[in-house]
Amino acid sequence: MGGPQYDLLMNPLGAVRQTFEKAVASSQPSDVDPTAVYRGKDWGIVDLLNQYLFDQGGLAQVPILDASSQKWMQPNTLVRFRGMVQDMLGNEFYIGAFKDGGTWRTNKFMDFSPFSAPPVSQTTLWERHLFLCIPVPGQNSWAIESTPYPLKRSISNEMTCHHGEKRRRDDDPNRICVISIFFYFFFNMQKDFGSASRHRIAEINDGSSFPTSSFSCLVKVYDMPESQLKLNEVVEFIGIYTFEPELIASNNKEDVDDDMMMFDFMDDVTTHLPPSKVPRIHCLVSRKLSTSDLILNSPAIEPLPNIMRGIRDSLVSYLSCTLGNDVLAAQCLLLHLLSKLRTKSDVASVGRLSLNLTGFTQETASIFGSQLHNVIKTLVPYSHTIPLTIEYLNTATLQPKKDNQTGRLVMGVLQLAIGTHLTFDETFMQSGTLNSKGVDNVLLLKHLMEHQTVEYDFQFYKLEMAAEVQCLIISEAKSNILPADLVVPVCPSAVTPVTASEEQLHAWRWYLATVRSLPHLTDTSICEMLQNEMVDAMRKDRSLGCADLSRWLTMAQLMASSFGEKILSVEHWQMVKEIERLRKESCLLMPFVFDVAVVFDPELREEISSTVKNCFHRSARLLVVSILENLDSVSDTAELDGNVCCSVLKI
Amino acid sequence: MAPAGNSSSPFGGSQSTPLGNSNSSQTPRRSRRRRTNNSNSSPTSSPLPLETPRSHMAGLASTPSTTTRRRGAQHNPSATPSTPLSTDDMVPPYSSDRDDNDNMETDGQDDTTPVFVWGTNISVQEVNGAILRFLRHFRDTRSASESSDTADLMSEGKYMRIVHRIMELEGAESLDIDAHDVFEYDPDLYNKMVRYPLEVLAIFDIVLMDLVARIDPLFEKHIQTRIHNLKSSVCMRNLNPSDIEKMVSMKGMIIRCSSIIPELKEAIFRCLVCGFYSEPVLVDRGRINEPTRCPREECKAMNSMSLVHNRCRFADKQIVKLQETPDEIPDGGTPHTVSVLMHDKLVDTGKPGDRVEVTGIYRAMSVRVGPTQRTVKSIFKTYIDCLHLKKTDKSRLQIDDTADRDSNNNTTQEDDAPLNNDKIEKLKELAKLPDIYDRLTRSLAPNIWELDDVKRGLLCQLFGGNALKLASSGASLRGDINILLVGDPGTSKSQLLQYIHKLSPRGIYTSGRGSSAVGLTAYVAKDPETGETVLESGALVLSDKGVCCIDEFDKMSDNARSMLHEVMEQQTVSIAKAGIIASLNARTSVLACANPSESRYNPRLSVIDNIHLPPTLLSRFDLIYLILDKADEQTDRRLAKHIVSLFFQNPDTSVHEVLDLPTLVAFISYAKKHIHPELSDEAAEELTRRYVQMRQRGNTPGSRKKVITATARQIESLIRLSEALARMRFSPVVEVGDVTEAFRLLEVALQQSATDHSTGTIDMDLIMTGISASERTRRENLLAATRNLVMEKLLTGGPSSRVVELLEELRKQSSMEVHLSDLKIALSTLVSEGLVVLHGDSVKRI
Repeated sequence: MGGPQYDLLMNPLGAVRQTFEKAVASSQPSDVDPTAVYRGKDWGIVDLLNQYLFDQGGLAQVPILDASSQKWMQPNTLVRFRGMVQDMLGNEFYIGAFKDGGTWRTNKFMDFSPFSAPPVSQTTLWERHLFLCIPVPGQNSWAIESTPYPLKRSISNEMTCHHGEKRRRDDDPNRICVISIFFYFFFNMQKDFGSASRHRIAEINDGSSFPTSSFSCLVKVYDMPESQLKLNEVVEFIGIYTFEPELIASNNKEDVDDDMMMFDFMDDVTTHLPPSKVPRIHCLVSRKLSTSDLILNSPAIEPLPNIMRGIRDSLVSYLSCTLGNDVLAAQCLLLHLLSKLRTKSDVASVGRLSLNLTGFTQETASIFGSQLHNVIKTLVPYSHTIPLTIEYLNTATLQPKKDNQTGRLVMGVLQLAIGTHLTFDETFMQSGTLNSKGVDNVLLLKHLMEHQTVEYDFQFYKLEMAAEVQCLIISEAKSNILPADLVVPVCPSAVTPVTASEEQLHAWRWYLATVRSLPHLTDTSICEMLQNEMVDAMRKDRSLGCADLSRWLTMAQLMASSFGEKILSVEHWQMVKEIERLRKESCLLMPFVFDVAVVFDPELREEISSTVKNCFHRSARLLVVSILENLDSVSDTAELDGNVCCSVLKI
Repeated sequence: MAPAGNSSSPFGGSQSTPLGNSNSSQTPRRSRRRRTNNSNSSPTSSPLPLETPRSHMAGLASTPSTTTRRRGAQHNPSATPSTPLSTDDMVPPYSSDRDDNDNMETDGQDDTTPVFVWGTNISVQEVNGAILRFLRHFRDTRSASESSDTADLMSEGKYMRIVHRIMELEGAESLDIDAHDVFEYDPDLYNKMVRYPLEVLAIFDIVLMDLVARIDPLFEKHIQTRIHNLKSSVCMRNLNPSDIEKMVSMKGMIIRCSSIIPELKEAIFRCLVCGFYSEPVLVDRGRINEPTRCPREECKAMNSMSLVHNRCRFADKQIVKLQETPDEIPDGGTPHTVSVLMHDKLVDTGKPGDRVEVTGIYRAMSVRVGPTQRTVKSIFKTYIDCLHLKKTDKSRLQIDDTADRDSNNNTTQEDDAPLNNDKIEKLKELAKLPDIYDRLTRSLAPNIWELDDVKRGLLCQLFGGNALKLASSGASLRGDINILLVGDPGTSKSQLLQYIHKLSPRGIYTSGRGSSAVGLTAYVAKDPETGETVLESGALVLSDKGVCCIDEFDKMSDNARSMLHEVMEQQTVSIAKAGIIASLNARTSVLACANPSESRYNPRLSVIDNIHLPPTLLSRFDLIYLILDKADEQTDRRLAKHIVSLFFQNPDTSVHEVLDLPTLVAFISYAKKHIHPELSDEAAEELTRRYVQMRQRGNTPGSRKKVITATARQIESLIRLSEALARMRFSPVVEVGDVTEAFRLLEVALQQSATDHSTGTIDMDLIMTGISASERTRRENLLAATRNLVMEKLLTGGPSSRVVELLEELRKQSSMEVHLSDLKIALSTLVSEGLVVLHGDSVKRI
């Protein structure tokens, strides 16, 4: 079976029908009931499509469906849709196959039976699963860059292809106009996307109108156990696009009908997603997308150590430019960007490295913070910035919530695609009071940082969903709300404008995607060494806890993979130790703005800190200067009370 | 199966053959008539080789295979929704069939040509007979074993008794039938019932009607059959097309109820011209046809009939949305929902938020494109016709009500049913393992390394001891074990707390800093809507029968902490405010954790100064653990190994035989509910012996003062601990080994917390009063010395002297170290004795 036999692109349903009839015909002599044979199974159409898409390079020809292309997309054609599974709407039963006269026909991959009379002879019910998908929240413009190219080709294809009068009709100026509108829209979108993220928050906060206002798509998936797709996964669906605007009229009538009134109650999920507003895709082929799939024309770079090292060095210098020539912070930022949740057990989660960049004031944050946002946006596919203010915490809907009236999951800000990068900007934080919603939101954020899970509210119970999100916090001092794994003060020395060529950006994106997917291998000898190192470190510094040690290991592993290595070596461990040493020093030497300075004798430490706490406002920053005692024990006072930020200066 | 030949004949002639036999009652004839109507009304359906037009009212006779039924539904879209359950509509058509059915039931067996339900292998007579036999003769084997055999033979079957009772009461309209009983009596009938519920239930109803009519021909009401407790229940997300038209049962949570929909059953029309009332018109396939002309001969006016609403008969109907419970949802999935249709009595039996078990028939109906169009979407909507609804919430609230155990024996038996027997067997098997204690310890928070003794203590807390109520005095002894963890920061105390919170059946987790006294106990609030004062429960009351985890215990306000005194010993919360005086049960175990007073343990200070909690409160904790971050290479190495293995997944440490969380939870809840160990004589003896031994340990020869090493509170703790230990083995008796282990646990905890640093012995005074015995002797010595000094140096009414001078003197005199603060305490004692007066810094003798 070759391509010319069927026009998969423009008339996939024809191919579906023909292959079905052929398959039934071929099995006729032996099988009694072909419907039983093909229930929940494929009869060759998927193979055919796979062959066409991946072997013959047809994938690029398939247009991508999005808010803009929807306008001119022909119903019942093959489309691609990249989106995040936002909600699962259960399954749907439909007449899978029926006998029309003497031949078996199928309704698979369609909403309506093409035969006007209801099928009267034997029918069988098959099932399909419904998923509500939306464009990935926070997707950065470069990651959706791929849209125009294949489209252009497919459109030109379409224009040259001879497909009946209907298509020829809108061939000429009309169509060109559509294209130009599309491009206009697209570039606008690219520009807007930066500010869009903030707009998006507001939009999502409104909550109620979300799925209708923005683009969403109901995907019907066949022959696949539902568990194969998970909530918040980014998936590419290739399937048949249907859109039934003519149904609007009949839908309105339905409301009038007394008989149907009570049954609205039953199918509310789909009535809230009318086919006139939400397009349907009957999925033929689906595949989960990883970051590397989003990078265009991936160069065939072998992840060789020296190449990786080169890219790494250039990326570190780029990042340090962003942070005002602070190489240490840049190193930590790199490790943070490479981090990925690897395993999770009851209490501990391994592999995540959330980063808290401190030392920003309102002014520096406006320079470096925004610079940082832009850089992250160009490097990771999905990113999102949350400005943490009292007002935001008190009003925003972070938690996704099930609306039992409509039967749908209402999106919260924290319903994010797996692998999203989340930046919290705490520099706007002022003193104020959190209301109960604010407290809930803070707890939610804290939980996300600590356990990498988000609690979804299903009204009568709550369900924890895994959320793999990289968290970066920008704050003046160590954030009290969000406990990050790694706290690094940034000491910007110079403001340098950051520029990078498209090739460089491309290489870096490729590097980040590749390194994040590198496996970690175990070497028993290195384990021994690490254990010894840790025991030594603990002997030297009693304050080291479980958290510190696991952080070191995480960093060491990330360090190794940042050089393209799969096995951790002593060299990487030493580098991490060096970073930790520098970090500790800069933590201590960090200049702070203090409200009060206290000079004290270590013997009276306890009394003084309590009196000071009582005398001053709780949020007052204390400078605690120790004259006599060594630094280690004094730094403990910082733990006395989380609200009082203490630091120590060597004199 | 239905004769295959039928399918070849395209027209109605042979349609009736499956039922067209002499023995058939009126029902098939009815349906035949309807069939003709049907094909007339919709010409498209004429080439129906297999079509048996159906309305659900004709459930008995004309039952097609599942596929045809669906088509029938689709053919007649409006019919399906409005008469989803057949039972009600059955009444009138069959009332005249009584005699026929009587015959059927009596001579059904020897009938030569059996009547089959269309498209199935169900013989109507056979099923009829089977049901009758079941109803008449089924005897509950459980109750039969209790009563004597002869009496049993004489008495009527279980369901006959119930039928009689229903008839006497006249109130109930349904007969609950346990599907397990059906299976026990006749597995074949059970299978048929599950596979073809509509048909079999229709027969069930007819049989019941006859039965009732025979007993009392005047009994008017129709008794419905409600099947419940199927042998297997399905998971909501596993429902698939093959389940359609089958009887299913599933668990779920009601999330939404529609308002009650009145459904027209019988309509009465009145002629607007002559005022003639028509005969009641029955619902036919979901529609009522308005008579076009007045039926009265004299009138015959056209289009004059109008519906008289208040003389029509309506039935209640309600649609309920059922959602999956959290335990059935796989990782990364959202809960599924399913619509459930409730009829008549079932309406409003469940409310949103209830956990229920629903038994019903899974149905599908087609979706019309528009109301006027005949075209039908190829999509089906599914719902469940509810037959029976059982709330499962109750069992949750009754988690091990040990105190009221005897009073509700019955309910506990019922609770066993959900936890199926295999599982219980498995748990019992586990309990028999010799190393179950160690295994449980390992399974508790496996990611927190070490701290084995602490974990053992926590295990004891989870299992708990027996609560006792003394019959004579009415006083109760708590069975809950309270634990305090004190330790350096970063010793994973909080993680342990979190873990226990996750594990315990009704745990509440609070942080000391964020809790107020009322938040912990109970508070009175004004209801915003009614303005009445209402009592709202706090954390401790909410965690009744569970574990209340309090983090940052030390940072709690003293006021809040003092509320705990009552809770931890009396296990109640008493409230007298805003006109509400109440005593609420708070039978909770408290698990608290605190940092030492200086956030890190200060070895220079005594334990009690480090913990810095009022001794009255401390004494209420059964076990106090001091988790110190000691510099110990061994533990360091183990920690390092643990972390490294976490990262590299070394198989040697992770693959221990560990119970997974659900099993652990099941194990603990089963033990708490069913195992109530009692002290054996040997164990009691051992307990006494060792307690006395412990008390005597304080009497070290040579020491002047008696040091108390154990108090009566300890013996209570010990009994609780040993009971908990016996529970872990599912043993009904507390053995000597349990007592020994309990002593070991207590001693480990005491050694950490109650050791007097200056002498190195265990001193319970330290916990009971906050001052160790050695400290007390020291103070007494100092007091004596000061008194002597005052007597010597100061004259009555003479010049005053400065405290500092006295201190100097004392230091010169005695060998021991004297602090200014100590001297001040001693002086204030002297002031109270009336020996001296203290004016600021100067001392004056009176």
